[in-house]
Amino acid sequence: MAKIELINVTKRFGKVTALKNVSLEIHDKEFFVLFGPAGAGKTTILNNIAGIQIPEEGVIKINGEIVNQVDPAHRNVAMVFENYALYPNKTVYDNIASPLRSPMYKKDEGYIKNAVMKAATLMKIDMLLERLPSQLSNGQRQRVALGRALVRDPNVFLLDEPLAHLDAKLRNLMRGELKEMQHNFATTSIYVTHDFMEAMSLADRIAIIDKGEIIQVGVSDEIYYMPKNQFVAQLMGDPEINLLACELVQDDRGFTCVWEEAPYHPFRLPEEPELFKRFKALEDNKVHLGVRPQNTHYHFEPVDGSIEGTVYSFETIGNKSVLTAQIGNSHVRTIAPNGLPVKLDQPIFVTVDIARVILFNGVTKEYIGRYDEADVMKLVEEQKSESSKEAGENHG
Amino acid sequence: MTARKRLVAILQNGGLAIYAIFALFPLLWMFILTFKSDAEMLTTTFVFTPTLINYEQVFFYSDYLRYIRDSFIVSTGAVLISVLAGVPAAYAFARYSFKKKETIAFQILSFKFAPEILVVLPLYMLYRQMGIYDTYLGLIWVYQLISMPLIIWVVRGYFEDISVEIEHAAQVDGYPWWQIFLKVLLPLIKPGLVSSALLCFIFAWNSFTFPLLLAGIKVEPITVAATKYLAQSTVHYGQMAVAATCSALPSIIFAVVIQKHLVRGLSFGAVKG
Repeated sequence: MAKIELINVTKRFGKVTALKNVSLEIHDKEFFVLFGPAGAGKTTILNNIAGIQIPEEGVIKINGEIVNQVDPAHRNVAMVFENYALYPNKTVYDNIASPLRSPMYKKDEGYIKNAVMKAATLMKIDMLLERLPSQLSNGQRQRVALGRALVRDPNVFLLDEPLAHLDAKLRNLMRGELKEMQHNFATTSIYVTHDFMEAMSLADRIAIIDKGEIIQVGVSDEIYYMPKNQFVAQLMGDPEINLLACELVQDDRGFTCVWEEAPYHPFRLPEEPELFKRFKALEDNKVHLGVRPQNTHYHFEPVDGSIEGTVYSFETIGNKSVLTAQIGNSHVRTIAPNGLPVKLDQPIFVTVDIARVILFNGVTKEYIGRYDEADVMKLVEEQKSESSKEAGENHG
Repeated sequence: MTARKRLVAILQNGGLAIYAIFALFPLLWMFILTFKSDAEMLTTTFVFTPTLINYEQVFFYSDYLRYIRDSFIVSTGAVLISVLAGVPAAYAFARYSFKKKETIAFQILSFKFAPEILVVLPLYMLYRQMGIYDTYLGLIWVYQLISMPLIIWVVRGYFEDISVEIEHAAQVDGYPWWQIFLKVLLPLIKPGLVSSALLCFIFAWNSFTFPLLLAGIKVEPITVAATKYLAQSTVHYGQMAVAATCSALPSIIFAVVIQKHLVRGLSFGAVKG
């Protein structure tokens, strides 16, 4: 149970800067997700919090105390490594018992037995206790690694892609269990993932990391609906968001957005004072129109405001399909039901739900605004108060 | 099909049997010699009157046990020092990056390249001047040329195969560094360490050139002392055979005991699956 703070942390490996001036504040009992592409520095952040690596600059605090000079054993953190890092020569039982037998967290064997059984039962590996890690499947190894972390009562759980190597079914199951567990244990958790579904469903708050820098921190709705820049928008969401490179044109009725692939059909941007104020502040008239695939629609006949293109691909992804239309040199992804009778290269007509678009600065790629920002803000506030209420409940 | 298979099997086993006879016959011959008296030595082959006189001579009327003890002290000492210094060195080579790492590692390996006879004369001069000629310390020191490179290179491979996260996990679990080394890493490198250490022991035990030139009066390992049975006028083949047979025993026993680990242990760490 602890608050974790990183203040201006910079970590270098030789000439490579892995973390640049990272500042984070993770609240007590929070489930905090670090999300970003491979090589972004997510694991490095965990290693620095655990004390496995020491930052060149900046301060790491656990419960307000600076721990830069404290070695991992004395930080009281529990970590689940991406490759599990089980002791290959020890049985599952001894692996899980290992922290409780160390000089730091020494307990008597009776206590250890109870604690190991409890953790093993929770992870559903109680029938595997006599086995060696080499005799386990990846999913089971993963659960042993989690068990080894859960057997203690640490300041913070550090979980490094714990579900990455599991099959889809087990992953979904474990995702639910992890969330439930965190709720019951009421311990601060920091969870690293590159799977946006995991990030969205587990997190109280998410930090987006890219190239060693924190891009955005917020609750999941905030990051999904109001991404700080195009990179975040592209990262969050599957299928990926459509980005239409447009030119913003001001006329006497307000603003229109002219997509370079379909200049004959400008999108009329409805009046919205706050948004228009931001448009006027722009130095350049280039904007990118971000449209989620669920907010683009396809038609087989031309309709009012539709743009003509051809079917580029049709992929089924589980219970829905992604229909990609080619318009000029751009591809626009839309969501379609499975089994839709389409042929490749047949004409298709696409409309965009303009009330749901996210506008980005075409030059800096930064977020400009969206129409339902007020509604989104309300949602975000709700989510925030809910998670803090949850934390409060756990206190009691 | 089965007839052909059987033929192949017969040929294979026949070939192996011939090779085994070829390889083992000298040992058998030496063993037979130990039971022959000097009179029958050159006049009989397999039919003779067995006698234990050679054993009696070697064990009760010569310094044989002292030679064995000397061999044991220098070989064990050499292996112990190689293990104590070599394992941390191997860890450093496996885990840390430092300037000229591979150059230094290769330098250590290259100690095994030069023929012993090439370096032994300069060493003799040095040893005389340093006052470690004909001492246990001197021999143990020079045996590091034989044992250290082997231990470092085999154990390094083992360390490289252990993922560094296992050490991190142990740190997070609350173990201090020396306990991580003893409780987590040592069991994992044990097969490689044991097999390479035993092999080093055998090499050190069998070493002849170094003890011949760097010792021989106060410190006399058995390999050098065995030549004493070649006297000026007479050659006591029987006694020499006893001395040789008994001094080969530790090597043979070790080789048989660790045979299973030896091949696997030496190749396991180096070859990445």
